[in-house]
Amino acid sequence: MFTEVKKHIKLIFKYFTFNLSAIAEYRTSFFVQVFGMALNNASFAFFWWVLFDKLGGGIGGYGFRDVMFLWAVASTGFGLAHVFFANMNNISGMIMTGELDTYLLQPKNPLINSIAARMSATSWGDFLYGIILMLLIKASGMMWIMFAISIFTAAILITSIAVAGHSLTFYFGNMEAVGRTLWEFTITFSIYPETIFRGPVKALIMTALPIGFITHIPLRMVYNFSWGTLFLLLGVAITYALFAFALYMFGLKRYESGNLIITRM
Amino acid sequence: MSKYLAMAGISIKNSLVYRANVTGRIIFYFVFIFVFFSLWSMVYSGNEIAGYSLRQMIWYVCMTELVVFCSGSGIFGIMNHEVKSGEIAYQLVRPWNYVYKQFASMLGNITFSALVFTLMAIILGMVFAGPLKGFNAAAIPFIVVSFLLSIAMNFFFLMSLGLLAFYFEENGPFYFIYQKLLFVFGMLLPIEFLPLWAQGILRYLPFSLITWGPAKMVVDFSYGYAMEIIPLQIIWCIGAIALAQFVFSRGVRKVNVHGG
Amino acid sequence: MAAIILDNLSKTYKVKVKGEGFSNTLRSLVKPEYKSVEAVKKVSFAVDEGEMLAFIGPNGAGKSTTIKMLTGILHPTSGEAEVLGLNPVKERKILSYKIGAVFGQKSQLSFHLPPLDSFRLLSSVYEIEKDLYEKRLKRLTDLLELGEFLDSPVRKLSLGQRVRCEFAASLLHAPKILFLDEPTIGLDVVVKHKIRDLIKRLNKEEGVTVFLTSHDAGDVENLCRRAIVIDHGCVAVDMSVKKMKYDYLNKKVVSLKFSEQASLQDMKGVNILKSTPYAVKFSVDTRTVPIGKVLAGLDSDNLADITIEEPPMEEIIAAIYTNGREVG
Repeated sequence: MFTEVKKHIKLIFKYFTFNLSAIAEYRTSFFVQVFGMALNNASFAFFWWVLFDKLGGGIGGYGFRDVMFLWAVASTGFGLAHVFFANMNNISGMIMTGELDTYLLQPKNPLINSIAARMSATSWGDFLYGIILMLLIKASGMMWIMFAISIFTAAILITSIAVAGHSLTFYFGNMEAVGRTLWEFTITFSIYPETIFRGPVKALIMTALPIGFITHIPLRMVYNFSWGTLFLLLGVAITYALFAFALYMFGLKRYESGNLIITRM
Repeated sequence: MSKYLAMAGISIKNSLVYRANVTGRIIFYFVFIFVFFSLWSMVYSGNEIAGYSLRQMIWYVCMTELVVFCSGSGIFGIMNHEVKSGEIAYQLVRPWNYVYKQFASMLGNITFSALVFTLMAIILGMVFAGPLKGFNAAAIPFIVVSFLLSIAMNFFFLMSLGLLAFYFEENGPFYFIYQKLLFVFGMLLPIEFLPLWAQGILRYLPFSLITWGPAKMVVDFSYGYAMEIIPLQIIWCIGAIALAQFVFSRGVRKVNVHGG
Repeated sequence: MAAIILDNLSKTYKVKVKGEGFSNTLRSLVKPEYKSVEAVKKVSFAVDEGEMLAFIGPNGAGKSTTIKMLTGILHPTSGEAEVLGLNPVKERKILSYKIGAVFGQKSQLSFHLPPLDSFRLLSSVYEIEKDLYEKRLKRLTDLLELGEFLDSPVRKLSLGQRVRCEFAASLLHAPKILFLDEPTIGLDVVVKHKIRDLIKRLNKEEGVTVFLTSHDAGDVENLCRRAIVIDHGCVAVDMSVKKMKYDYLNKKVVSLKFSEQASLQDMKGVNILKSTPYAVKFSVDTRTVPIGKVLAGLDSDNLADITIEEPPMEEIIAAIYTNGREVG
């Protein structure tokens, strides 16, 4: 079992270099897209700066740097996820068009194989932006530590949520819209101060859809570190990843029983 | 004129086929407003900020989002595609003005979703903010005119940017910059949040006029304001149309000379 | 030794039945109705190691479904399949190391990169040891004449070049069985021949079993010794291609050229296809009248030229499709 995991990790890195060359083929387009993303992120930073400036104090207990921390983790985490697994949002498409079959014929786990097959050029911009942002806000040592840890848990959670959403296509037919919406939710909810969410929404993002663990919990730990919370964070990320994986694999079994099909053929 | 109406009609029929896409955008719209509602509710403690009350802020965001959703930003991609595939060269043979034709198509395409979104915007405003105090029904015609001008302005600017594909292999940056300018100068925050000197300039530039223009009319109407904004919108609208026509005719000529 | 065995292999799909119109749509949401579609019905046959089999049939006959069950992509409803001694469903991963596939529209190559890069990636996927991979790559490059464009991005290659690369990609890991689904579609005659030669060579030199699906009669005729026709989920015909050609339609087509103007008398079983003052083309139903008798009735002094042919493969296949199970 362990050798299999090792083999798949090797495969992911092989895809990494492979995809990197593919993107390099389109150098201009790459820089343009990165530019676009940087601009997008910068406009939000501008928005927050104006808002904090106008309001004078904190917002929900958050200062400007805190909001920027959320952005940095979300951006770099997102970038990381999409550099390695950009195909996560194509899962529904691959199922519906039968492109998945090509991966089924190969001797590797179809999920890993299919989502690693593409790299998003744009995401390098996101990846770098978070780091640059951290530098610009002169992040504290503790912020850096939490940043370093949470970009990985963020990447895992972002990927897992997208995979879980799209896996529903195995069960209910084309759920591309759902998968994509979940993915958008994830980004949108993780870049605003935790305190603006209350009640059922708060409960949701801390449990069934652990978006709160992507940026908010790490920020809490910047000011209030505890080993318990850290283990909770790691635990949630790994558990959710396993959950998404299982959801996909069980869905795959259904797919192979041919219940989706006739349209595909 | 009638042929453009006919085109709009066909587009309406076609657009009904793409209902799924509309659902996705509705959800996104809802989520967006919800997040902003949560944010503003927490920020405001009963008073006014930059001359806007909490209710006004929420309605404001609903309205700016509405403008953007209705503008059909797809035109940029469509122009890009038509230029790069060379299909656009064939358009010269057709007995219509390309720029107007695209506008008519877009209107047809979005009529259905525009109605849905307008309804949604009003519902969301009511649900999250409650009725606007002092809303004057007499403002409605001005609001509608302003909205339409905004949609037209946005459309023709985007079309011009898309047509830049004639000259630039990668015209993406222009699109990004334009969209972000819209974003930053009125979509999320009314320009009153910015320093006075910035406000002074922005009032005359198209970016704020597209979003903040009509939105402010909804939340804080005054005739004086309408008299200021609407003429400016008209001027920029004419400018945008002229720009699109210009880029198109120059670009197409270039294609024909060089063989595309 | 059998490479592929199918034993009463069946696949039945449940398809949602929905009527037209809004009220029916509502009804199907609340109480969905299903209809059973038997795509593959108790198909049984075996393919030997090193055999080249043509698996043909009209669209919707169940070809793709069968291949999917053999490659482990689809679970059969009942019956069994055994490929290289393995159960395709339960032991799919192990099997995937030993089989290769070229499926019409599906590509294993990255569009933006040179084929060489994709090959290298595949060597990781299939865990091919470096030396072995290099050797194999060289052999396939020579065999398929890929040398010139191995380094060009796939998007810059012609269809013929791309198909050759797809073949190479599917053969890197030296599979024992090659599943081919419409491999020559859209290719020009020269490239088709190249591909067919490649397949023949592989079969001869390496003993690769070939399972071919094609609508191209030339593929069937040139490559395969045996053909199985599947129609409506059942095996309609299972015979050697030779027998199909010579015996199936019991028909021969004769073309005659005369030195002096002449015409053919009416004869039972003879159907005149084309007739001009100096030439005539006719078909002979050899069940009604032996070909010898027809020829004997000709004026040999007047014959400038004669050609006797079997009906083209297309016609034979078309006839099989339309007649279904009505076979000798």
